[in-house]
Amino acid sequence: MPSARTGVSAQTANLGALQAFLASFWDDAGLPASGLFPFELALEEVFMNVVMHGQRADGPTGVDVSVTQEGALVTLVLRDDGPAFDPLGRATPDTDAAIEDRPIGGLGVHLVRTLMDAVSYRRDGEVNELSMTKSVE
Amino acid sequence: MNVTQDTTDKTTTLHAAGRLDFEASAGFQKEVEQVVAAATAGGKAVLIDCTALEYVSSAGLRVFLVAARAAKSASVPFAVYGLTPSVKEVFDVSGFSRIIDVLGDRASALAKTGG
Repeated sequence: MPSARTGVSAQTANLGALQAFLASFWDDAGLPASGLFPFELALEEVFMNVVMHGQRADGPTGVDVSVTQEGALVTLVLRDDGPAFDPLGRATPDTDAAIEDRPIGGLGVHLVRTLMDAVSYRRDGEVNELSMTKSVE
Repeated sequence: MNVTQDTTDKTTTLHAAGRLDFEASAGFQKEVEQVVAAATAGGKAVLIDCTALEYVSSAGLRVFLVAARAAKSASVPFAVYGLTPSVKEVFDVSGFSRIIDVLGDRASALAKTGG
């Protein structure tokens, strides 16, 4: 059961390092390149949410990223020590709204929910944990 | 991400290549806004060629929304074309395919925008 983990502070400059971490896990595990996109997207959306909305008062929030493969199932988990926040609690944006009425934000979580097979949130002590799973076959 | 432009007497095309992620989106937005402003003054249509666009996140999608709104309010014909399957899925899931003209190739995008 291949798995890997890494930790960074919640700063925009670390997004590239996280994407490189994910891509290198993907290659090492021999997973199909065609399945990577939704995981890259989920990693960016969830990480940037923490960067922009999940900072601690006493300095940057820490983010721990792990990825695990079990057969065709890949699970990506982000854990952060920021203030309690359930991103799945947000209402789904109205994707039928006219161009003038479309809100500029709120799409990221909707994309993650739709492109992943399963997404769940829990508050684990002082940590927000968002777990995302999808079959890559 | 890498962006190049070409302009004819009727159309300006932005060729977007690579990854349109959070970090790339601010620069791309600036470029798109300049092109829409110039097209407004010059009476041209604006196309975004996504043939070589490998990745887009919600931050990148936002640029397309801002561009489409600016074009609409300035009466500038606007379309995107050549979306790769992953990028197309993001446009579909977000509902953007219904509010922005998404065409298969350059010829149909030119036909749509009168180029």
